[in-house]
Amino acid sequence: MHHSSLLLDSQNWFNTLPLASLEVGQHLFWQIGGLKVHGQVLITSWVVIGLLVLVSVLATRNVERVPSGLQNLMEYALEFVRDLTKNQIGEKEYRPWVPFVGTLFLFIFISNWSGALFPWKLISLPEGELAAPTNDINTTVALALCTSLAYFYAGFRKKGLGYFRKYIEPTPVLLPIAILEDFTKPLSLSFRLFGNILADELVVAVLVLLVPLIVPLPVMLLGLFTSGIQALVFATLAGAYIHEALEGHGDEEEAH
Amino acid sequence: MDPLVAAASVLAAALGIGISTVGPALAQGNAAGKAVEGIARQPEAEGKIRGTLLLCLAFMESLTIYGLVIALVLLFANPFA
Amino acid sequence: MFDFDGTLPLMMIQFLLLVAVLNAVFFRPLTQAMDERDGFIRTNNTDARERLAKAKQLTLQYEQELAGTRKQSQQVIAEAQTVAQKIAQDQITEVRQQVQAEVMQAQAQLESEKQSAFGELQKQVDTLSRQILDKLLGATLAS
Repeated sequence: MHHSSLLLDSQNWFNTLPLASLEVGQHLFWQIGGLKVHGQVLITSWVVIGLLVLVSVLATRNVERVPSGLQNLMEYALEFVRDLTKNQIGEKEYRPWVPFVGTLFLFIFISNWSGALFPWKLISLPEGELAAPTNDINTTVALALCTSLAYFYAGFRKKGLGYFRKYIEPTPVLLPIAILEDFTKPLSLSFRLFGNILADELVVAVLVLLVPLIVPLPVMLLGLFTSGIQALVFATLAGAYIHEALEGHGDEEEAH
Repeated sequence: MDPLVAAASVLAAALGIGISTVGPALAQGNAAGKAVEGIARQPEAEGKIRGTLLLCLAFMESLTIYGLVIALVLLFANPFA
Repeated sequence: MFDFDGTLPLMMIQFLLLVAVLNAVFFRPLTQAMDERDGFIRTNNTDARERLAKAKQLTLQYEQELAGTRKQSQQVIAEAQTVAQKIAQDQITEVRQQVQAEVMQAQAQLESEKQSAFGELQKQVDTLSRQILDKLLGATLAS
């Protein structure tokens, strides 16, 4: 597949400006076994994962009855994702799904914000550049596939093979649409997240390219807002899909 | 890159993002207007309405984003180049 | 841009690992802590409510006891009053009876004295009248 740097690449007058440059589709390739991987995505995701685990460990190192500092913050986060999960899956069955949906939300949220807030550009790589992990299609597809697996698992564990009844439940006529839905769900999930984050970073980069000072700030703030909302949307939809798998075909319309 | 394919791709990308903005823009305007109506009718429900509105706007926004993704594909990862 | 490769499965594995790790170090302990706190607050709340109910009950009980005691004391006072009244009545009647008896006695004595006086008087009248008669009729008789 062809990779090209943005905008009129070679004979481009932007390149004479030393302030910023824009790259899409450039990757730091690593070779692991027979597989090629995108090194910069993995590095940033490790930073995000490390941050999450570190904060969690610090917050729960000595749990107190009256929370303070980091524990307070993490309890707020936990309560937030718990309410989110409860709203989607329902009071009765939400508890086992809090870790999954919560991790989904926290990981995407920290990833998105890290892309805007963490000074990645200070670290230069031989090829490609560090950015939010969610700005790579591999990450978002991986998360979306995890969500698909999760709701299949939820349906199977709840109803066994009777889960497949939901495909032919009102009429078998809708079978192709029902099957198609299973493909469109992860597709739309991953593309929504990927597109939003990539678009956000591209808009900011283009603005920085044109006017390096002050002007991109509102757009960056809007980007932070969009990133948070996208994390919320991803987690909410994951919860809704799991709820749908748990509940059967009857109230699918309400879940959307 | 074949200049014809390049020109067609750029044109398609521009048209694609432009057209894919129209529908969601109308929908978002509609939703926001309805939400403001709702807030005017019931100011005490403002928090809930705002949360739902933001979520819905994000869903509509993602439709435009699909168009944007296609445009980006045409520009940066064109399969016909 | 759409170049899927080894990053995808690696990312999935690492995300699922993250879920497991966060479940162990974040979700489970904090959920437990929050549940414990909820339980603590709930027990304290019910405890306090129970204590309040108990205090209310005790107040009620005391009030009832107080009312009972007051009633009892009133009863005692009323009883004492009746007893005193009765005693006074008794004494009054007794004294009255005594006085009456004394009056009767005095009357009886007077009567008897009167009787005896009358009797004596009668006797004297008799003797006197006899003497008068004798004096008057003695001549006649003698004559």
